[in-house]
Amino acid sequence: MEARKKMAAAGGGAGIHRAPMIPLWALVIGLGIVLAIGTYPYYGQAYVMSLLGKFLCYAIFALSIDLIWGFAGILSLGQAVYFGIGAYFVALSLKINYALDHPTRYGGKIPDFMEWNGLTELPGFMEPLVSLPFAIAMALIVPTLFAFLFGVITFKRHIYGVYCAVITLAESLILQDGIIEYQAYTGGFNGITDYSNYGNASFLWFILAITVLCFIAGRLLTHSRVGTVLKSIRDNDVRAEFMGYNVANYRIFVFCVSAFMAAAAGAMYAAWVGLVSFLDAGPVFSIEAVIWTAVGGRGTVIGPFVGAFLVKGAEFFLSGVLQWTWQLIMGGLFIFVVLVMRDGVVGTIANWVRRRQKGSMAQIVEEADQKAHDRQADWRPESAPGTTREI
Amino acid sequence: MLQPIITQFLSGFSVVAILVIASLGLAIIFGVAGVINMAHGEFIMVGAYVAAVVGQLGGNTFIAIPVAFVVVGLIGLAIERGIIQWIYDRPLETLLATWGVGIGLQVIVKLIFGPELYYVGAPKMLDGAFRMIGLLPFPYYRLFLIILAIVMMALTFYVIFKTDFGLKVRAVRRNRGIAGCLGVDTAKVDMMIFTFGSGLAGVAGAALAPIKSVSPPMGFPYAVDSYMVLVLGGVGNLWGVVAGSTVIGEAETVLSFLYNNVIGKLLVFLFIVIIIRVVPKGLFGYYERR
Repeated sequence: MEARKKMAAAGGGAGIHRAPMIPLWALVIGLGIVLAIGTYPYYGQAYVMSLLGKFLCYAIFALSIDLIWGFAGILSLGQAVYFGIGAYFVALSLKINYALDHPTRYGGKIPDFMEWNGLTELPGFMEPLVSLPFAIAMALIVPTLFAFLFGVITFKRHIYGVYCAVITLAESLILQDGIIEYQAYTGGFNGITDYSNYGNASFLWFILAITVLCFIAGRLLTHSRVGTVLKSIRDNDVRAEFMGYNVANYRIFVFCVSAFMAAAAGAMYAAWVGLVSFLDAGPVFSIEAVIWTAVGGRGTVIGPFVGAFLVKGAEFFLSGVLQWTWQLIMGGLFIFVVLVMRDGVVGTIANWVRRRQKGSMAQIVEEADQKAHDRQADWRPESAPGTTREI
Repeated sequence: MLQPIITQFLSGFSVVAILVIASLGLAIIFGVAGVINMAHGEFIMVGAYVAAVVGQLGGNTFIAIPVAFVVVGLIGLAIERGIIQWIYDRPLETLLATWGVGIGLQVIVKLIFGPELYYVGAPKMLDGAFRMIGLLPFPYYRLFLIILAIVMMALTFYVIFKTDFGLKVRAVRRNRGIAGCLGVDTAKVDMMIFTFGSGLAGVAGAALAPIKSVSPPMGFPYAVDSYMVLVLGGVGNLWGVVAGSTVIGEAETVLSFLYNNVIGKLLVFLFIVIIIRVVPKGLFGYYERR
């Protein structure tokens, strides 16, 4: 009884201790980083600036994977499908508009790759893409609908885990093959390139703003009641089901949110970089993003950002020096993260800090155990049979 | 119209055989040890390179197959001891770790053999094709693949259902805890099964080398196909491999003939999704229990 009163007093009736949405020190550091990136165009090099925009898109993409994998336990190896669809819609629209102003060598007002493949005019179903806002809307809506459909088909029948991973992997492989096969519409092997992209400072700010929004949205989502339910589904879906939660619907919801984020990242990526190819929709890219998330720390919202910047940054600056060794390092990194650093960079640091604050890990675990035990003992009615039986 | 489809249907059997050969090793590893081996495609690739080396040294496919079984089996053993044995209890993470292994194998092979393609000839006695009246010529090598698939299935069935080792494997498959209590060394069974499965992947590589140019990234599509076979057929049952391969192989051949490759793949994929929507455990997945 005593414990229950104490808990009610501490938790304001809710009885659950919640970490603050964003602690003050994190807010300060975050603002600093946002400012540093935001002012970069004024003092930095153009090359690094273009990388920054790219990395921000990658970071959002990694966050979209973290939302479903780290918080809901759905491992998707085909998340690039949503990134790729978003990117292709925007890239196609930009390319079509570019072709209207810049006729090809033979005077056609259609994208050059269509002309190379024997098309003489824009196919009818692509006409609406002339309008960029429409293309952006499609880039966001189509992947989300696609994810919804996928979720309804699989999660409603309790297909997840390995099966989900394999199906999503095949999905992205098929999309990649399709893009290469239908080169008259997608640019095929070369991808879509050579259009007027938005590579200026104001678009970097736009990407930055969206990144911050995605971060806050992710943080809000994972710290809400829905986030708690998602985590319980991740840890034990059968129990969550028995508690009365509709596991499938929660999974579908988070999957759609994640697909939406991935699509947004892809759309901005296409507009920023000015080159979209089948690789951006393929399985290799999907799995790479899973590595970023794992390296950064899954189950934390900041982890994917750290992971994407660390791995991608290292790749850009080291792959030139190391050449083929780089790939070997990537492979090794995967194994290392799985075997040794299970919580990723952020998780490892957090564990270390916690250990410094509270002593050994064993002590922390013991404390948490004791707390859970107290809470359970407290919930049990005194007169219930089996609680205090003399042996 | 009907005649060509029948022709395609018959030649589809060689695709079925290829799928069976490629996915058998994975079915064993995935079904018994519970490891999601993303390096499976790379094991096949290494097997194909073994065949290439054997070919350069003057051997042929018949010699390459046992050599590949041993070589790739040993590689599998090393990987199991070095990495997999620590993460059996985390299946989704075996996926990530073995993906890393796959990248590593690709880089190492590229380093040793260079990025260029290797061509491995079929054995002399299997050159040529026989011709049935009104049908497409059917290469002898494809016939050999069908026979090899049957032999491999028979061998695996024999190992799993008729030997002492197979009895332990089935016990571990059914109930790991109880099997351990009864004195089965489950860790050793996992190790042996991973080695055996890797060896089978090596055989697949050696057998598929003559019909495919050998290059470092050749394995990945086979791995994905194998996983689709398992998802459709059901994990943990060898008949699932046969059923899954037959459905996927035949459907893909006929549909690819009617439309094109990508549409064929897409339709087969949709078909698989619909099937597992109806039977989530796959066609022969009754074995699977939690």
